[in-house]
Amino acid sequence: MSEKFVRPEDYSPTEAMVIYAARFLKNFDGKRGLIGTGLPLVATQLAKMLYCPNMITFLETGQADANPQELPISIMDSRLTFGSSWQMGDPEGLFPLSRNEIDFGFIGGAQIDKYGNVNSTFVGDDYNKPTKRLAGTAGAVDIGVFAKTTVTLMAHQKRRVVEMVDYLTTPGWMVKKWPEGHLVRREELGMKGGPSTFVSTLGVMKFDDETKEMYVDKVFPGISVADIKANTGFDIDVERATQSDPILLEEVRILREEIDPLNIYRMR
Amino acid sequence: MQAKTNKLVSLNEAIQTIHDGDVLFMGSFIDSRRPMAAAHEIIRQQKKRLILLAQCSLAEDILVGSGCAAAWRGCYTGMATFGLSPATLRKIESGDFFPDEIGHIDIILGAMAAMVGSPFVATRATLGSDVLNEQYSRNEYIKDLAGHPEMIPHQKFVLMEDPFFDEGVIKLQPAMPADVAIIHVQQAGEKGTARISGSLAFDHYFVHGARTVIITAEQVVPEEYLRRDPNRNQIPCTAVDMVVEVPWGAHPSQVQNFYDTDSQFIKDYVTAAKSEEMFSQWIQEWVFKVNSWDEYLGKLGAVRLQKLRSSPPFGYRPRNI
Repeated sequence: MSEKFVRPEDYSPTEAMVIYAARFLKNFDGKRGLIGTGLPLVATQLAKMLYCPNMITFLETGQADANPQELPISIMDSRLTFGSSWQMGDPEGLFPLSRNEIDFGFIGGAQIDKYGNVNSTFVGDDYNKPTKRLAGTAGAVDIGVFAKTTVTLMAHQKRRVVEMVDYLTTPGWMVKKWPEGHLVRREELGMKGGPSTFVSTLGVMKFDDETKEMYVDKVFPGISVADIKANTGFDIDVERATQSDPILLEEVRILREEIDPLNIYRMR
Repeated sequence: MQAKTNKLVSLNEAIQTIHDGDVLFMGSFIDSRRPMAAAHEIIRQQKKRLILLAQCSLAEDILVGSGCAAAWRGCYTGMATFGLSPATLRKIESGDFFPDEIGHIDIILGAMAAMVGSPFVATRATLGSDVLNEQYSRNEYIKDLAGHPEMIPHQKFVLMEDPFFDEGVIKLQPAMPADVAIIHVQQAGEKGTARISGSLAFDHYFVHGARTVIITAEQVVPEEYLRRDPNRNQIPCTAVDMVVEVPWGAHPSQVQNFYDTDSQFIKDYVTAAKSEEMFSQWIQEWVFKVNSWDEYLGKLGAVRLQKLRSSPPFGYRPRNI
């Protein structure tokens, strides 16, 4: 691949998020991923072209080893069916997950908190009269419970990266034990897995092995740790942060010309 | 149920079997193989207090916006890349429509329990999440609303310790039967045997967990034709009560091997449905001012539809055509 770099002003924050997420997926070559709708589908396509051709894509709508030739517009798109090993329905799509056979789940969301819990259901303080209703729990809750690890993509904004999510859709490291609803470590509920990585529009965040709290691992080119602190709703640890390698011309070219030439996902 | 010789009825007749307060499952998922013609007919017949299952996406959003549905138990209120379901969001945020959140696996297990004839199944799905927050449960409200309250469990779920393998907390997920399931398929025979291509979504489960099953089909073909290769059929005639032939009956969603998504139509709807007033205009224009699905298709026009046709071998229409 050409080693020509692109300057930060020549790509959008969303493109950066998708490209760095695709690079991160290199860790999952040969592994099984359950891919959520939206930008995770885009990053997965880019990753399979550039970094992990042997990654196995599952969808919650029942495709096994999906290999779309065109970018799907939803997880029900027949673009995901053509070229799959198997096309059944949602039960067959999700039972590998509940059997703990999925190496990683890959999702978006509207809020993430310092323990990696993700909210894709509603924003506000009353579920029954939300400030803003979102897309719902869908498979995101199931990925958080059953995947061996979770990778999340989301724009990095103060109202999104928060101390505690308004609604806990995808269980992270500290989860709710019912009926009281107090926070416990996920292991206490017998849950394996847990979030490993949050790729935002500003950097890559990981979770401390001991405290399970989010810290900044990588900062994208043109972004400072101060930018990340200013756009995070809690006092985030930036002590371990290093600079990401710059984005390659080839990564941007493939994303724009081969993956989403019609800008269906409005990344630019 | 006895397999009648011929289950073919008109769309109008089929939808007349739905009652106010019914629990309704609309087949498939998001933007593929959605029973849109059936949804339009439900609005035309002005059904009320329906309780929707699984999702409030393309087919359900117009029911919610039209005041046909009062509550929903499911996991998704979006339309993939087209954004969130506009009328559903508007009605939830104004407190006029009540969501009862469960997970994706919960829907499957609820349908599965109904399918296998069990009152509940056990799962670890949704542990640790706010799906288990009792304050957010609308179970009692839904039970009060239901025309057949016995269809709705006394509780949304029960947590207990795993008595068999000592694996900690597990959840008992109650069966989630439907009064009516409407499934749009590629092909059906006159006795009800149906063939689907593409994702089956939940359809192969809900047809066995619903009291009444209505199939709408792109093509009605001789039952005998489908019985030459029964392994390729996903819905047996024994599960089906009525069959309606409705070509293009899922527009603007896609039907694999028949037509692709009409993206512009969905985008225009999403824009219109954001306000109550523009939504009403949209419904007037596309539902009430056309008297049938044929008139709807006539209004769309042959040229528009022709441009959506799928191309072999893909099952969709490649974008470079």
